[in-house]
Amino acid sequence: MNQEPIIEVKGLQKNFGAFTAVKDVSFTVNKGDVFGFLGPNGAGKSTTMRCMLSLIKPNAGQINIFGKNLFEARNEILAKVGSIVEKPDFYKYLSARKNLEIFARISGADVSQQTIFETLDFVGLAGREKDKVGGFSHGMRQRLGIAQTLLHQPELIILDEPTTGLDPQGIIEVRDLILRLKNEQNKTVILSSHQLAEIEHVANRMVIINKGQTIIEGSVSELMNAQETLLSIELLERSNEALYLLQQQFAQIKAEAISPKTLELNVERNLIPAINSALVNAGFEVVALEPKRTLEDFFIQMTQS
Amino acid sequence: MKLSFLLSLLFLTHLTSAQDPNELVKAVRLKLEKVTDYAADVHIKAQVPMIKIDEVDAKIFYKQPNQMKVESKGIAILPKQGLGELNNFLTNEKGYTCALNGSKMLGDVKTTVVSVLPLTENADVILVKLWIDPAKDLILKSQITSKSNGTLDINYYYGDQAKYGLPYKMVFTIDVKKFKLPKSVAADLHQNKKKTKATEGSQTGTIVLQFSNYKVNQGIPASKFKAN
Amino acid sequence: MLWKNTYNEFIKILAKPRSYIGLAALTLLILIILFAMKADGRMYISFVTASFEQTLSFNGNILNGNLIAFIVLQMLIVHIPLLVALVTGDLLSGEAAMGTLRMLLTKPISRSQVVYSKLIAAAAYTFILVVWMGFLALVVGRWMFGTGDLIVLNSDGLVILNYADILWRYGLAFAVAYLALMTIATLSIAFSAFADNSIGPIVSTMAVIILFTIIGSLDVSVFDHVKPWLFTTHMASWRSFFSDPVPWAAIRESVWILLGHNILFIGIAIIKFKHKDITS
Repeated sequence: MNQEPIIEVKGLQKNFGAFTAVKDVSFTVNKGDVFGFLGPNGAGKSTTMRCMLSLIKPNAGQINIFGKNLFEARNEILAKVGSIVEKPDFYKYLSARKNLEIFARISGADVSQQTIFETLDFVGLAGREKDKVGGFSHGMRQRLGIAQTLLHQPELIILDEPTTGLDPQGIIEVRDLILRLKNEQNKTVILSSHQLAEIEHVANRMVIINKGQTIIEGSVSELMNAQETLLSIELLERSNEALYLLQQQFAQIKAEAISPKTLELNVERNLIPAINSALVNAGFEVVALEPKRTLEDFFIQMTQS
Repeated sequence: MKLSFLLSLLFLTHLTSAQDPNELVKAVRLKLEKVTDYAADVHIKAQVPMIKIDEVDAKIFYKQPNQMKVESKGIAILPKQGLGELNNFLTNEKGYTCALNGSKMLGDVKTTVVSVLPLTENADVILVKLWIDPAKDLILKSQITSKSNGTLDINYYYGDQAKYGLPYKMVFTIDVKKFKLPKSVAADLHQNKKKTKATEGSQTGTIVLQFSNYKVNQGIPASKFKAN
Repeated sequence: MLWKNTYNEFIKILAKPRSYIGLAALTLLILIILFAMKADGRMYISFVTASFEQTLSFNGNILNGNLIAFIVLQMLIVHIPLLVALVTGDLLSGEAAMGTLRMLLTKPISRSQVVYSKLIAAAAYTFILVVWMGFLALVVGRWMFGTGDLIVLNSDGLVILNYADILWRYGLAFAVAYLALMTIATLSIAFSAFADNSIGPIVSTMAVIILFTIIGSLDVSVFDHVKPWLFTTHMASWRSFFSDPVPWAAIRESVWILLGHNILFIGIAIIKFKHKDITS
């Protein structure tokens, strides 16, 4: 994985009057990342996103994008960024194509009519280019919003809660689209969400913020593996013996026998295969291994603490 | 009562002069009646408080008994009375009575001053005073006092058309005491209050009419006087 | 980028139905005035000339296209600011309300350029309104009523202007009226920079106009020092071109004060907009 940083946010702080929306947020997005920006509602995600797009001026901290200070090289940076903040809004009285033309004209690149049609096709809006946006569904606007971010071939795409308000089908489509952007076009994507599952499915790295502060940052898989999971093991019988075995072999785990057939233990996710092997090798008949506590619980735990 | 006083005044003045004012006015009238119609160019120069207008050229048409028309490309301001009205007034011999009012020098001409009193009680005109050159039967000055307009003075200057009693120049002195500006409309920006007061001070204005190219008794079709 | 976005602004204004409300309302108003004058214009004039007409007679075509244009201008100068503000007050705040401002400002265009391009569009729109008004009032007015000397009632009396001496006055009068309307446009844009909804700046602009007009018309000496500096005092400055002699010094002063207001309002709009956190 290329480690060239595209976005560096350091010590970001933003107050609205007496209210501190962002207290201390820092993270780094590397080239080629699909970067998840996770936090509960009101954590300061949108404010941070808006700061990264120069919509809001932070009170303190630094934002470097493409190695340059955002507020010093704003136009140069924004020419290489495509974004949707909150939800994509368009001129309702204009057609989809006219809307894209308007945003393309000030995107800093020469966008041909062909590109506009291709982009509309890419987001699945081919044939609707002449329709007024006022008549579009939320999902169609979201897709048009993504089309708008792509027109000028940006290197970095910033999506703020891109699946909010979409139906399950729409959510899948957007996820799909993000993965295609990464895989087919090698874009760097940063997307915010208040739902871990959202990030889990598409992001390779993420940061979790809460109450305006960075809680943790890292690779999604590492973070998920690093967390202890409540594992429930169902056996045909002899749960007490199995408990003894596991306590012998894995000194660090805390386990208890819930019933003659069920064990519950707190383990790190990466230990689960080893536990399974140990039980099987010792002749226990394992019916099920069920991780009960997921990253979601961790997220809730982190953000509530 | 008023009338009887005036009539006695008239009788008194009659005694002091050898001339019969009625005869004099009649002579003037007959001279004027020789004109059945005329057309002339007229140059109008109006200097009236509260009105600002450039000098204007117009054409004037008259046809007996009382048709009068002014044609101008732009807007021309004329006194309402004194052009055709005086002629009309004098034509109706039975509508007035005349009284001698002494004589007066106007320039180097000795004029006979005649007061002409309308006999109809509710007429707008209250009194007409004429300064008549008895040698030429020409009105050199008139003063018309009416209920609606106050006093209007006219001075007449004669040239070629004197034989018809038509002047080449008339100078009207009009009373502007009654001029009022509707307030709501006069809402312009650079209001100048001092200026307004100054105009209130002067209560007369003059309008000078200079006639040329008289065409007398050459016939004017009646259609000319039809309103547009 | 400035011109590209200005082009965008034109597209938006042309596509917005409310842009046509102004033009339609203006057309309707002028046509109603023209119709009313055709039907009963003499009455309207006699209201002005009544006291003079006892003594004087006014000859010639008084109710002509030039006078009609003057009447139209005089009547509409009260209403056109609303039509201008309806479009210009919406330029920034309308986009904030719609959410498109957020989209617009994540593009590589500086905020001052956004304001400038909207200003240019507003200037063009106002220009079209004024030209359209001029066309309807003067061209259609002359076509319907013919030409002739213009009789104007000023505070110090009637002025009768020669028909050959009128067109340049109208040209300059429309130019100054345009400047006055641009003051409304820039004021509403300045309000627009503060607001996130359409109606606020429009109402605020009209409120300021009404307030200043009332202060201007109150004959109270405490306001004497304020009045000359109120832009509303100078909004009727176009009328001065129909005085004789033309009070050039006073007009120049009005033009400077209106220009000053324009610059002030644009300055306020840019400073506010540049430092505004876009939270809409």
